[in-house]
Amino acid sequence: MNTRFVTVARTADIKPGELAAFDVEGVRIAVANANGRFFAIDDTCTHEQCSLTEEGTLDGTVVTCGCHGAQFDVTTGRVLAPPALEPVKSYPLRIEQGAVAIEI
Amino acid sequence: MPPPFVIIGASLTGGTAAATLRQEGFDGDVILIGAEVQPPYERPPLSKQYLRGEAPFEKALVRPAGFYEHNRIETRFSTRATGVDPIERTVTLDTGAHVRYDKLLIATGVRNRRPPIPGLDLPGVFDLRTLSDADALRREMAAGRRAVVVGMGFIGCEVAASLRQKGVDVVSVDPSPAPLFRILGADVGRVLAAVHQDHGVHALFEDVVMRFEGGARVERVITASGRRLDCDFAVVGVGVEPVLDFLAGSGIDTANGILVDEYCRTTFEDVYAAGDVANHYHPVFHKQMRVEHWQNAMQQGAAAARSMLGKEQPYDAIHWFWSDQYDVNLQYAGFHDNWDQIVVRGRLEDRTFVAFYLNQGRIDAVVGINRAKDVRRAMPLIKSRDIVDPRQLADEAIDLRSLAPD
Repeated sequence: MNTRFVTVARTADIKPGELAAFDVEGVRIAVANANGRFFAIDDTCTHEQCSLTEEGTLDGTVVTCGCHGAQFDVTTGRVLAPPALEPVKSYPLRIEQGAVAIEI
Repeated sequence: MPPPFVIIGASLTGGTAAATLRQEGFDGDVILIGAEVQPPYERPPLSKQYLRGEAPFEKALVRPAGFYEHNRIETRFSTRATGVDPIERTVTLDTGAHVRYDKLLIATGVRNRRPPIPGLDLPGVFDLRTLSDADALRREMAAGRRAVVVGMGFIGCEVAASLRQKGVDVVSVDPSPAPLFRILGADVGRVLAAVHQDHGVHALFEDVVMRFEGGARVERVITASGRRLDCDFAVVGVGVEPVLDFLAGSGIDTANGILVDEYCRTTFEDVYAAGDVANHYHPVFHKQMRVEHWQNAMQQGAAAARSMLGKEQPYDAIHWFWSDQYDVNLQYAGFHDNWDQIVVRGRLEDRTFVAFYLNQGRIDAVVGINRAKDVRRAMPLIKSRDIVDPRQLADEAIDLRSLAPD
């Protein structure tokens, strides 16, 4: 399978404790700045398809979906609290010269 | 071998408690008793996605169907508890059986109030609590049919929204000046009234249903002001009451629910209560409260299970719930039953705002309309019990996170 890294933002564009969403080849991906560490997961909550970026909140490495309170670990995409039951997909991410690149 | 841990109420609370016992490593016997035929399921979809036929029932299950057997949790569904003897440590069932327990969790929840309105028992008059209630209502929901929704609390509002989304003509009747009036107050309530009116609900306020009339089925609803509302069916959502009758004579203290402390302990040793039925002491607010929220049902069930295992921690979660109506996502955090000030951040007419309900300068609760982030960010402010500056709460330029204590 061919994967490649796509640059989506500068690290300075995403402040600590914030999420930002990017369309990467048709997939909406959220990049989280967890106090200086960056992670990429699907932006769409697996419960009711809300955008984690638009209404969600990030606390450490935990993102809480704004619609119904489901929580995910941004480092892995794992579900930490229902009502979501399925994890969100997690993407490899790398930082190079101040740019955030996601492997897709 | 000690007697089992027994859970009465195969609900979100009871199911979560049973699962938590196993997660926490308990390997003794567990019996889960429930009045309904289904394994534990979540009720929020019954007024929304499931009611509208958008999601299958299986999505609402608390745990997959095989979970209980796989985890050695004995289930007795379609079975009611009829008595508890906390001295003999037994539960009596409607089958006549007596079940001994080592520890007991009561999670019987609430039932719908059935006010003495003539005609309430006519076919075509529905209420909504269980899966079978939702199934019965679904069979009535066809575009162009006419429904009267009695009561514009959360159930009434969500059902009215789902009915409109399926093309049903809806007239609603509520004695208050606005939907959810007791919780929201007049100004915020009117925003929600306008949302329903914009979606075609003919919303009548400050009027009371006097009787349901009809022959073989309901045909019209008569109100105190003399309105005659012709309809094909009606849905009644006028509040709930905790399910306590089976505790009569048990000695377990009740008052608007089962009285428990912050560890979910009742007045009897080894008897716990959680969920909608539990009138619990809240250590943040320093008072007893009983709530009917999805998140409390789940988290308090888990907390009670840990208490049963001797791993108790004070249950001090800030209560939170949501209600989806059309494209409106309403969220609530905290607890309030009155207020001396309401502060609004955002503009009511924009339908994206958060309202803070204050008493003596402290935030007891917040209500957000399409403002999930601010609701979440207000929760530490509620928990801190600090005096807040209303001007800062209202100032959109100030991030609520900056007002929270470190």
